[in-house]
Amino acid sequence: MTDSEKLVKLKQLLLNEDRDFALQILQKLESVEKTLNEEELLSEKVNPIIDKKIETFADEIPSKLGPTITEALKIQIRDSQDQVVEALFPIIGKMIKKYIQQEMKNLSESINSQVQSTFSIKKWKRKFKSFFTGVSEESIILSEMAKPNVEQVFIIEKGSGLLIANVSKSQENIDKDMIAGMLTAIKSFVEDAFTKEEQSLELIQYELYNIYIQNMSSYYVAAVISGSFNTEFKDELEDKILDFASKHKKEKLVEDSKVTNKLIESLFND
Amino acid sequence: MINSKKVVLVGHFGVGKTSIIRRFVDDVFTDDYKVTIGVHILKKEIEVNGQKLTFVIWDLEGKDDVEKVRKSHLIGTSGFMYVIDPTRSSTYVNIESEIAYLKSNYPSAQLLTIANKVDLIDKKEFKKQINYPIDFFTSAKTSKNVEEIFNKLGLNFLNNI
Ligand SMILES: Nc1nc2c(ncn2[C@@H]2O[C@H](COP(=O)(O)OP(=O)(O)OP(=O)(O)O)[C@@H](O)[C@H]2O)c(=O)[nH]1
Ligand SMILES: [Mg+2]
Repeated sequence: MTDSEKLVKLKQLLLNEDRDFALQILQKLESVEKTLNEEELLSEKVNPIIDKKIETFADEIPSKLGPTITEALKIQIRDSQDQVVEALFPIIGKMIKKYIQQEMKNLSESINSQVQSTFSIKKWKRKFKSFFTGVSEESIILSEMAKPNVEQVFIIEKGSGLLIANVSKSQENIDKDMIAGMLTAIKSFVEDAFTKEEQSLELIQYELYNIYIQNMSSYYVAAVISGSFNTEFKDELEDKILDFASKHKKEKLVEDSKVTNKLIESLFND
Repeated sequence: MINSKKVVLVGHFGVGKTSIIRRFVDDVFTDDYKVTIGVHILKKEIEVNGQKLTFVIWDLEGKDDVEKVRKSHLIGTSGFMYVIDPTRSSTYVNIESEIAYLKSNYPSAQLLTIANKVDLIDKKEFKKQINYPIDFFTSAKTSKNVEEIFNKLGLNFLNNI
């Protein structure tokens, strides 16, 4: 091999290496360029890193940011109660409306079944009534259903709150003696706390019931009423109770429970 | 005739009124203290000398002065139990005037003075510290004398009609 040959060989070797190297770099560059330019490929590479970051970040939120956020929310809610109420109101309103709609549906279904299934004198009476008054049959049933009804009557000694007599339409396992005591305590509490002069508690609304209270000199009568309590009904009841009271002194009520129970029963309508 | 009787427990906060009643009515006791607010009414039927009696028991909230108790809670009462806590002298320093008040305003009612939490004290030592007659030493925790105080009231009712 001549010197020049050697030189060529050397050059070749060196250059080849250079070329290979350059080629490699070029390839790398190309792939980087490709990765960078093509979003899909880039995200393939970058996403896991970001995901990881986000993951740790999310993990740390409760401990790092939690208290701050809660505090901020608290303040926000406190300072803008009106807005919060405003925001919640429609939601709650909708829930209530939905509930009422459902209840109305149930009610109308039960009315319909009543209208359809009953083949009774009552039905014909209703039909006549409906025909002559122009009020729909359903409305008549509705008002019949909501009619106030005395469900239970307590005669309670004033002061001690001891039960003198009690008559109930249905069998319940509530303790009448304790109810009488609690009613007396509530009554006296309300009378002490909220009324000036000689006023007295007359009506307690409890869930679906109204508890009507009428005072006599040494005892009071509490009538538990279902349905819609109205003035007409109240007047009627008041008269009945007054009539009842004028006939019987407390002693008599205490002594003769048979008489008492008969009389209480006269307060029940229908 | 109603043979129900209104029985009222009065006394300072935390002397054990509720605990005595719970022991008597449900036969239970707990160490935790739940303050009574307003009034709580419970009932138990007992038999004294073969006679049935219904106790409607008013568990009142504690008051350090019996004159501050709502009058409507006291009227119509057949039997009072005035309860003190012998481990706290503040609950009995005024016992004499407190009892005098009850006796003068509700002369027809029976009244028992009761020192509760007897499981926590040395009775002899305690008697040196108080110069007012205590009718019963009870413990709602161990049940000591709890039945007895209600029976005693029942007996008093029967003998006094
Ligand atoms: N060791 C002991 N602790 C008692 C006894 N009776 C009541 N306690 C405790 O004393 C505390 C108060 O008892 P309550 O029965 O709630 O007292 P109270 O008189 O009803 O209190 P107020 O309703 O606030 O007036 C409770 O922690 C009871 O566990 C007792 O006989 N022995
Ligand atoms: Mg209590």
